[in-house]
This record gives sequence, C-alpha cells and structure tokens, in this order.
Amino acid sequence: MDTMTNPQPFEGEHRMGTTIMAAVFDGGVVMGADSRTTTGSYIANRVTDKITPVYDNIFCCRSGSAADTQAISDYVTLYLNLHGNELGEQPEIKTAAALFQTLCYQNKNALQAGIIVAGYHPRTGGEVYTIPLGGALVKSPWTIGGSGSSYIYGFCDTNFRDGMTKQEAMDFVTRAISLAITRDGSSGGVCRLCIIDKTGVERVMVPGNKLPKAYED
Amino acid sequence: MSILEYNGGAVVAMVGKDCVGIASDLRFGIQAQTISGTQPKIYKIHDKCLIGLAGLATDNQTVFEKIRFRTNIYRLKEEREIRPKTLSNVLSMMLYEKRFGPYFVEPVIMGLDGPDEKPFISAMDLIGAPLLAEDFVLAGSSASEALYGVCESLYRPNLEADELFEVLGQCILSAVDRDAISGWGGVVHIMTKEGITSRYLKGRQD
Repeated sequence: MDTMTNPQPFEGEHRMGTTIMAAVFDGGVVMGADSRTTTGSYIANRVTDKITPVYDNIFCCRSGSAADTQAISDYVTLYLNLHGNELGEQPEIKTAAALFQTLCYQNKNALQAGIIVAGYHPRTGGEVYTIPLGGALVKSPWTIGGSGSSYIYGFCDTNFRDGMTKQEAMDFVTRAISLAITRDGSSGGVCRLCIIDKTGVERVMVPGNKLPKAYED
Repeated sequence: MSILEYNGGAVVAMVGKDCVGIASDLRFGIQAQTISGTQPKIYKIHDKCLIGLAGLATDNQTVFEKIRFRTNIYRLKEEREIRPKTLSNVLSMMLYEKRFGPYFVEPVIMGLDGPDEKPFISAMDLIGAPLLAEDFVLAGSSASEALYGVCESLYRPNLEADELFEVLGQCILSAVDRDAISGWGGVVHIMTKEGITSRYLKGRQD
C-alpha cells in the first residue's frame, strides 16, 4: 500500500524527470523528448535518447525510472518482433500499446513508468497512445508526459490543430519541449524529435542554443 | 530531499594576485520548478566586501538583512567599514547562536582585508564553522562536487584579474551544467584595489 501511495526511488537510481510528447499530423506522427537523466539532482546523462524503437515504424517515449522503462521496452520489442514474424507484416500500433499496457498494469506496484507509444501503420495512419503511471491506456491525437508536461498543458491546448503539416507539427513539438525545458529543472539538454510517416523514420536533434527562445529577462 | 537543496544554487570565491573574485548562478527555483533566472546570490556589504549565500532562499534573505543591520550599526559606531575577516567572525557567531535551530544558509565571504587590502575569502557551514582557505571556497549542496572538481583543475595561484574572471566563469558554468537545480547563467564579480567589475554570463537556460 505504502509503495502505491508514496513510492520512493532507490538512493542513486537514475530517473528521467523529463518532458515527452507525441502528436499526430497529416500523414504520420511527431514524437519529442528532452535529453536529461538525473540521479537526485546530479545530471547523470545530458544527451539521453528517450525515444526508443520497439518496431520499424513504432517508437515509444520513456519517462520515470530509467531502469524500469528500459526493461519494459526491451520486453515489448521482443514480443512485437515475434508477433510481426507470425503476422508477416508490421503489427498495429494499438498492439504495441496493449503490450506496454499489460506489462505496466500487471506490475503496477513495482514499476514507475510513464510511456507514450506512437507510430505509423499503412492501414491506420499515424496514431498516439499514452500509458500513464497506473497502466491505463488512452488513445488521443496528441499527448504530453513527464514532470515537465505540467508547464505546457496550456500551450499545447491552444496550439494543437488537427491535420497539421509535418513542419508545423515539428515546430509545435519543438516549441512545447523548449518551454518545458525552460521551467522544469528535471528536463533539459537537447530536444530530440522522431518523425514517423509512410517514407520511414527521421531523427532530428535540436541543440540547446538552437531551441526557440521563450521569455528570458 | 535535503532542505539545503530545496532552492538549489551555487557560489564560489577565488583568490588571485591582488584581487578576489566571487561567482554565483542565477536560478531561483522551488525544487524542480524554475521561477526565475535573474536571481543572483551575491550581496554587497561595502566596496571591499561581498558575501554570497547559497542554501534555502528565505534564510538567505533573512541572514543578509541581519548582516546588513549589524554592519550598518558597526559603521555608525566605528566610523569605518567592517573588515571581511571581522564580518566572517561575526557571521560565524550569529549562525552558532542558532545551533539547534539553524538558518539553512551556506555563506561565502570575500573581500580585500585590512589597510594592506590583502585578498581574503572564507566560507562556513550552516552552524558557523569557518573555513579560511588561500585558494578557493565554494557553497551549494547540489553542485558542490562538480564545483570542487572543476575548481581544483582550473585554479592556479596568482591569477591576474581577467584570468581570474575566465577561471571563475568557466568553473561556475560547467559545474552548474551538471546540476538540475542550479544554473540559468551566472554572475562574476572581480574586486581589485580599483573597484568591483561585475559581468553577467549567459549560460544554458535549462
């Protein structure tokens, strides 16, 4: 009971304080994340890649305990590859999301993992699913997660539009991550993007000094 | 999280050749949230003495006000400015008076002491244990390990004023870049017999 209501990280455990997000655009999805991993307040890795592949065109954004999310995504990659071999074609995004959900829900007492699953499938187009701490599964056009996400709900609510172009979606995600990095101490470093559409996967890295400028005195 | 790491922050002071410097970061935050990036932690006592305060922000402000009061009374009674070494002693006594309910501050004092204007730096813990060093002193629980490392590497004795500025600037910026709760640029004050030169440094705004 105590771990559910008041979970305590182990001393020295790596956490991804983090800002992560994903958004659907016309023809695919854009995923974004910051690059900071902390041990307490020490920045253990300032160039982390929190967007990891689980299949060719399906990626996940990881937040929470670094160890927990790495273990979960390794399992999902294994199961998805077996499933894809059986099917003979790319698995659907909702299958990947359901696998994440099963692991996160059934082990909810032991895990601290907030995961966003996104990808492109020829039949369904771009899709975004979010799996917050308890293991619920929610499908939506865009979603944000991690400690830095609190600071950008207003921005995202105002600026997201259905049917954006790829460039508009990239700008939306970059600006949002940049704003969260500014305010959240647990987020920082560079902004990593992952754009998945019918042509494949494109990875972009926007260094700290090239991020769009927010209010600074 | 320790109460001294509630607001974060880092301060470092170094001795050079006939000059002293002090630097701090600019972040004011409450745990992970950043409120402002324009809050230095260094206060001026008089032209030959600066004090930097890391630790809990509310106690920093209160301790500074108490010091300001004491040094003002000192100036009225003695008709001269307080020496940095004397101020260091006074502050040490003030903090020890609160031994069993302390101010959560980590002070760093620097100045040009006495008629010879000899460079002087000192630091102390939250209950007033003084540390008088000849090279550099620093404060700031979260960034302190990174600061010690980079200061030990970059410091050498008898730095001229502009070299001291470079060294202090690099030390404070690279140390706070590895600390999630300090940063947002820095400020460096270099004090020589001629006066104080202050420069703001643009750092990573994350």
